[in-house]
This record gives sequence, C-alpha cells and structure tokens, in this order.
Amino acid sequence: MSLFVEDPAYLSKSRLKSDLVAHNVALPPTKSKKEVYVDLHLKHIAHNNAAEFSSDEEDQEEDVADKEEDAEIPDPSCLTDDDLKAALLEHGVKAGPIVASTRALYENKLRRLLQSEGHGCLNGVEKGVLYSDSEEENGEKEDEESGSERAKEETVEQSDQAQQRSSQVESRRSLTTSTDSERELNGSNVQEHWSRSTRLDKPIVDKYTINNQSLYYTPKESPCIRDMKLSQEPVEDMLQEMFPNTEATPTGICATRRRPIKGAAGRPFQYAYPDTPASPTTLERREVERRLVPFQIQILVFVIVACLLYLIYVCVEDYSFSPFVALLDSLDQGSDSEEGPLLQAETQDTPALSGQE
Amino acid sequence: MSSTSQKHKHFVAEPMGEKCVTTLPGIGAAHGKRLEEKGFGKAYDVLGQFLVLKRDEKLCRDWLKDICGANVKQQGKAYACLKEWCDASL
Repeated sequence: MSLFVEDPAYLSKSRLKSDLVAHNVALPPTKSKKEVYVDLHLKHIAHNNAAEFSSDEEDQEEDVADKEEDAEIPDPSCLTDDDLKAALLEHGVKAGPIVASTRALYENKLRRLLQSEGHGCLNGVEKGVLYSDSEEENGEKEDEESGSERAKEETVEQSDQAQQRSSQVESRRSLTTSTDSERELNGSNVQEHWSRSTRLDKPIVDKYTINNQSLYYTPKESPCIRDMKLSQEPVEDMLQEMFPNTEATPTGICATRRRPIKGAAGRPFQYAYPDTPASPTTLERREVERRLVPFQIQILVFVIVACLLYLIYVCVEDYSFSPFVALLDSLDQGSDSEEGPLLQAETQDTPALSGQE
Repeated sequence: MSSTSQKHKHFVAEPMGEKCVTTLPGIGAAHGKRLEEKGFGKAYDVLGQFLVLKRDEKLCRDWLKDICGANVKQQGKAYACLKEWCDASL
C-alpha cells in the first residue's frame, strides 16, 4: 500500500512487518525496535526524507542483530524458505507452503520452539495469559504465544508422565522389560511428535505389544480403541485392579461388556424400579380410563334410555292401546309373580287412560 | 456447547462466491476494513490464507490476530466458520 501523508513511523509495528513481508523483505529479529522496521520500510518501500535517520539506526540494528545471533544461533529470519521448513520439521511441525503471507507466522513459530527448548520448566499459569481479551503490542503478544506454546509442551509432558506412571503400575504386575522399553520409546516419540495423529497411533501400537505379552486387556472392541487415545492405559490398570484373578486367555482378549455408566450419555438415573413394567402410554391410558365411565355401562344406560323414550313415544303417539297392551303382555311374560300387582295397577291405569281420551 | 450465530449459518449454508470478508463471523466493519487494506477484501482471500496454513487452528488464529487484531473470541468464530465451510463444501 502506498502512503500518501503518513510517515512509516506512524504505522504500527505489525503493519510495518506485514508491509515488509509483502515486499519480500527479510524481517529483522522480532525483538528489535520499531525504528528498525521503519528504516527497512523506508529503504525498500518509500523514498522519504526520513532516510536521514538511517545512519544512527543502522548501528543499532547491527548491534541488535549481533545480540540476537548470539542468543539463538539459527535465526529464523535469516533462513531461506526451505531451511525454515526443514527447521520446523525437525521440531515436529509439518509446515505448509512458506509464502510471503505465511512466512512471518512460521518464523514466529520456530522462534517459540527454540525458546521453549531453551527454557526447561514450563509454567501452566501462562496459559491463562493467552486468553485475555485486550489487544496487545507485538512484544506482549509474543510472550503470550510463547506461554501457550510452553503450556502445550507441558500438557505433552503431563501426558508422558501419565503414560510413565501407568507403565510403572503395569510393571508391578510382572511385565516383561521389553514392553516397558517399548512404552518408553513410544513415550519419547510422543514427545518429539506432538501431533494428534501420532497420539492416535500410540495406543494401537501398545495394543499389539500387549497382545504378544498376553496381558490383561481393555474389553473395548478395536474400533473404540481409536477413540480411547490416552485413556486406554488408565482403563487397563483399573480393570487389572478390579479383576486380578482373571486368567490370561490364549489370544489375550477378554471381552466382557462394561456396565454402562448411570447418568451418562442420556441414560437417566432410576432410584427405584416401577412395580409393573408398563410403558408410559399404557399407564396414561389406564389413568384416563379409570376416570371415565366404563364402556359397557355406557351402552347399558343408552339402551335403557332408548327403551324409556320409546315407551313414552308409544304412550303419547299411539291412541290405540293394542301395541301398548302387547308390550305390557310381553313384559308380564318376562316376570309373572313380581309384576302381578303392577299388572293390576296397569290394567287399572289403562281404563283410566282410555277414560281420559 | 455454544450455538452458532446467524452469520455463521448463512455463511456455511452456501458457496461463498464473491462475499465480502465482513460476512465472516467475528469480522466486523473495523476488522474488515483492515483486512481489505492488507489485500484480503473478499472472503475467499481469507479462505485462501486459511488453506495455505493447512487449516491449522493455531496458525490461523495467530494470523488473524496479526493482520486485523481480532481477539480470541473473534478468531474462534472466524476459524470455526471457515472450518465448517471447508468440511461442508471443500
């Protein structure tokens, strides 16, 4: 970008850096002062009067460069693209294409790796520093990035320690030394290559070594082992503790399904079992049916009401009593003794009714 | 698990085409302007950088921080969106 009014001195350090990268200018060491960047910017990009200051700053630049070179012998900014890529690969980082826009990032990464090698112990507290929301200058940013890098290394070391601990536990159970050495080898491999892919390979490799030694196995099937990653070894130890009397099978495989964890993966807790193993829908239906009137009783009531209505209809509509009498006779035939007095009452009624009409 | 924003859903749902870089979640007007100044005016420019960095999360986040000063949340949003877009459409 061309600057019309602003001096390079007014630009931020990161902006200057990116401009230099865009113009394929080798960046000075990161810890150098902003003036160094400004100077380079001016030299290669803009032709301003600011170049007058360069004589003093050149000396500064050289001093700083000498200091940097003494501190870190392979200075990332002096390396070619290929050398930078090779250096990153030595540290186990598979770098992508090193282009103008990516070079700065990879240089920073290499610097952090070199620094982390120099520093012995790591501090996990620095990890928290990474997650501050405030925008920061370049210097602070690099400290945070180095902190995060160290934290990453620390987690790798922690995982190695866990592996070594588990290996110690296993040795107590009469492991052969070859397995131990293989484990340690794998542990050291992980230290070198801290990419996730190798971590995945490691448990599988361990599985094969265990096979040969006919040790106690995790009961998970092979597809699940890929998901286990590091948790494989603690699980194995637990099982050995839980089932110490299990004999080693010839193939080394002892497949028993582990009891599913209550409360995990959507499995609800059940503190008491229900009395009847009925599904919720049947229970609901029963509840509803209890409140409603039973079906048969409903039909019976309907029939009775229908009969009553029919009788009333007949009484009202039909003036000739022959069907009514016939009905009465049929009723009488149904129950003789009980309806004896009733019949008399009815016969008395019918003359009364006939008298009315 | 946090839910994705509308911006994220819109971006991931279709090919990005000639969309502006401000359509990326986490990239607002200010960051978008800075990105544009650096030559990353379109979403596919940022995608290009993302792919050149082998879609490595750390590198992409660092790059976003360097180039436009995005904070951790914004970096995360942009990275997640591009990652999902790649998983879906690449």
